[in-house]
Amino acid sequence: MRTRFADGVDGWPPGYADGDENLRALLVIAALRGIDANGLLTLATREGTAAASLDVIRSGGAGSEADQNHARILDPDAILERIVQVGARFIAVGSPEYPAQLEHLRDPPPALFVRGRPLPDVASAVGVVGSRKCTDLGRELARELGRGLASAGVCVVSGAARGIDAASHEGALAVGGHTVAVMACGIDEVYPPGSRPLVARILQTGTVVTEYAPGVPAEPFRFPTRNRIVAALGRAVVVVEGAERSGTLSSARHALEIGREVFAIPGSVATPTSFTPNALIRDGAMLIRGLDDLLADLGLEGGSGQRVLPVDLTLAERAALDAVIGPVLPDRVAHELRVSVPEALGLLMRLEMRGLVRSVGGRFERRLAGSGRQSDPAPSPM
Amino acid sequence: EFPARFTLVAAANPCPCGYEGDAKRRCHCRPDRVETYRQKLSGPLIDRIDIRLHVPRLSKAELLGGAAGEPSSAVRERVEQARARQRARSATLGFTCNGQLPGPLARRLVSLSPEGRDALAGAVETLALTGRGFDRAMKVARTIADLGGSERVRAEHVHEALSYRIDLSDGSLARTG
Repeated sequence: MRTRFADGVDGWPPGYADGDENLRALLVIAALRGIDANGLLTLATREGTAAASLDVIRSGGAGSEADQNHARILDPDAILERIVQVGARFIAVGSPEYPAQLEHLRDPPPALFVRGRPLPDVASAVGVVGSRKCTDLGRELARELGRGLASAGVCVVSGAARGIDAASHEGALAVGGHTVAVMACGIDEVYPPGSRPLVARILQTGTVVTEYAPGVPAEPFRFPTRNRIVAALGRAVVVVEGAERSGTLSSARHALEIGREVFAIPGSVATPTSFTPNALIRDGAMLIRGLDDLLADLGLEGGSGQRVLPVDLTLAERAALDAVIGPVLPDRVAHELRVSVPEALGLLMRLEMRGLVRSVGGRFERRLAGSGRQSDPAPSPM
Repeated sequence: EFPARFTLVAAANPCPCGYEGDAKRRCHCRPDRVETYRQKLSGPLIDRIDIRLHVPRLSKAELLGGAAGEPSSAVRERVEQARARQRARSATLGFTCNGQLPGPLARRLVSLSPEGRDALAGAVETLALTGRGFDRAMKVARTIADLGGSERVRAEHVHEALSYRIDLSDGSLARTG
């Protein structure tokens, strides 16, 4: 299934990566740091095969000077050796494991490097994206979405970055589900380095994928490029949080461009990290309030079930909980309840220990009901 | 001359630019820099700081609308009474205030109500309280009870004490799942 674009480029030409010579050329091409899939596709449309494309680059007819020099010295055998060393597979366009859904992209990657479990079908995968800088609530929502999607048998695709990405992967891992991390660097590296433990855990039951050969470093321009793969691998993309100028928007744009559903979790208009989801909703993305909405819209069973408040709250605790509207100061709660600030703090502390509220920067806000600890270790009458 | 008895009072920013978590202004620090910044204070060091509070920016309404606080003279009065109680309790043992009590002695002298004990025991799990954190929270709870003129340390004193033990790395009280 290929989409024709205005520039006349129509996916990778048949036979582009067929045969040993082309595969070896493609290994070198995937290790180049400057030229992107778009440039390679234009070249392929003219030249027909990977080997012919590489010849043009080596002879100075395409790509940057750095790429041309690099292409002349790169050794496909050394690249292959490194791929084997890190336990990865090389999947060229046209091979059976190459995910057909990527061909919906205007610029599908010519090859993928995959570690772990095979990539999912488009129908059984969903991308969950959001900013690295996120709120605690956003992290909690992403984790719940990851957990819920994985429990419903859906593979969770994200970018292994901090914040929302990491939380959605972790949610899926927590229930032993399938999750895919799409990296913006070579398959032998993990970026950011802080995500190494997470990626190691993903590899035990899930998949790590990138379009970059070993040795390609993570660079800022690769992130929006990587996001197109996150958007294309699944049937939908869920945007949890994103500030005004964030990469999250690029994931959503890619998704819309290729006809994937976009879901977004709204937030307060005063919350910077809700800017992108709110803007997407205004532009027509489907508003979801959490996991239950998402599963319903995707036609899936499951969900968190009934969300009821624990009934054993004391009157004072319930009053304190009722006073937590948005992020509030303990002083405000004290004022509402006509108690002292220390008393209000004590009540809020009890609620926090029961997973009902959380303190953020000296203010208290509600947590998602039912997502906190369920057992109260110290039920104590007031 | 050392050792010296001192009271440490310190202030810190949430991140290098100072605006992380601020409702009004956007923080421009990279997330990994915020993390590194907060890790400058080691866990064991933070664990020794008994009272840790967030002081958020107040909105105009909060600044102007709040009721006038107590005068300092009233606070002073209350503190002096609380210290007198503490002296009376531990003078024979050679201590003048709760903070000086060694852990085992504190556990004996701090008369926790059963609910207060349950609350503290629960916190060991939910707040991942260390042994030292446990003792220190207990002493703070004792002091809160002293300030309130209560001989027993009740659950509300323990809860208030625990609310002063925020995790500086993410601002939360508890390590929640």
